[in-house]
Amino acid sequence: MNFSLKIVSPDGPTFSGEVESVSLPTAMGEITVLSHHVPLIAVLASGEARIKQGNETIFLSVSSGVIEIRPDNTVYVLAETAERAEQIDLARAETAKLRAEELMKQRDRMDDEQFALVMAKMEKELARLRVGKKWRNVG
Amino acid sequence: MAVNTKEIKQRIKSVKNTKKMTKAMELVSAAKMRKAVQGALATRMFATLARELLEQLASGNKPTSPLLEERPVARLLVILITSNRGLCGSFNANIFKRAWQILQDKTNVARHRGLDGKDIIPLSDVAVDVIGVGKKSATFAKRHNYPLIAAFDHLSERPAFEDILSISSMARKAFTEKTYDKVVVMYTQYNSSLSQTVKARQLLPVSPHDLEKMLVVGEKAEEIPSLKQNGYLFEPNPETIIATIVPRLVDIQLYQAILESSASEHSTRMVAMKNASSSAGDMINGLTLEFNKARQAAITQEIAEIAGGAAALE
Repeated sequence: MNFSLKIVSPDGPTFSGEVESVSLPTAMGEITVLSHHVPLIAVLASGEARIKQGNETIFLSVSSGVIEIRPDNTVYVLAETAERAEQIDLARAETAKLRAEELMKQRDRMDDEQFALVMAKMEKELARLRVGKKWRNVG
Repeated sequence: MAVNTKEIKQRIKSVKNTKKMTKAMELVSAAKMRKAVQGALATRMFATLARELLEQLASGNKPTSPLLEERPVARLLVILITSNRGLCGSFNANIFKRAWQILQDKTNVARHRGLDGKDIIPLSDVAVDVIGVGKKSATFAKRHNYPLIAAFDHLSERPAFEDILSISSMARKAFTEKTYDKVVVMYTQYNSSLSQTVKARQLLPVSPHDLEKMLVVGEKAEEIPSLKQNGYLFEPNPETIIATIVPRLVDIQLYQAILESSASEHSTRMVAMKNASSSAGDMINGLTLEFNKARQAAITQEIAEIAGGAAALE
């Protein structure tokens, strides 16, 4: 049984198609959505999304957003950023991670809000790195 | 010889160079415009989904978020989106003119329009501050004496979503800290390559109504069947989801406005350059005619002189 999945970021739809299952990171842990899932709205966390489409598995790195599972067997993922594994620029992700780490070290001079921002950025970059590296090892 | 042919020749050459330049700018603008329009359309899908989600959540119980709070306006923040470069026809002049007109009636801008007809009218006189996007925005603030609290002039032709986050987070912060009670974005909406209109839209407090107005006009993005509300599960709870989605809506609305402005800027520049190229063409034609006339006059004169000389010898 397939259902239709759309992953949308502000830069446009990243993925759109009929899929078998999708695993998404949420604020409360990873969930896997199969066809005819109960209607659900959940908060998306930064991490790796795995889409199963036939024999293929597609990896994406996603960061904060919302997951919306509709009663009519469609799933929308609104993510702030969503990138396919093959499109991730590892070098850029690495430098971004280092920059975030650098910022984390200056924790004392930050208020909570800023720290949360840096933390979120760090998580996002880590997710990109993980997904990107995995794809390179497989492919 | 009445007119110097050499001088005319030089002028033709310089006009031809200018024409080459304007032609090149026209082509570049056309390409950039296409990209910006594509970006604006791509964003629309995300924005539509997010707005629907908010409405869905709002229909159950009234959502509470500091970004949704409507309070009487004492201080208004205007985000004015202009271009970084000139040579784009009346693009900047239009937005300045319209912004000035809109800000004349401050109570009207500052009023919160309730959907049920109940308006929240500002208590006292409204103070206006400006955040400028694009180098030219500083001109506006200076001319009309509005305090320019920040200017963002580093945005590229086709800004990425992350690039505008600094602007929207600044606006959000100022709003939640109650420095400003309302944030309005003024931008140029792209209708087609020949028509653009200046619009003012409420950014904060988040208004689904204004968002919708912004999204439905212009080219339609992919149609999305609307949400029907029945028995959704929320994880972890509706409040957290609202807290996640509302700030995104602000970001996306601003992003959309900037992309629309960028598309408009490039299309006005394209049209301006097209006009310039065709004027240059006309000028070259006129000058060539003049050049030929002058050349002919010189030859005629020479012949007359020779004939005169020969006649004198006989």
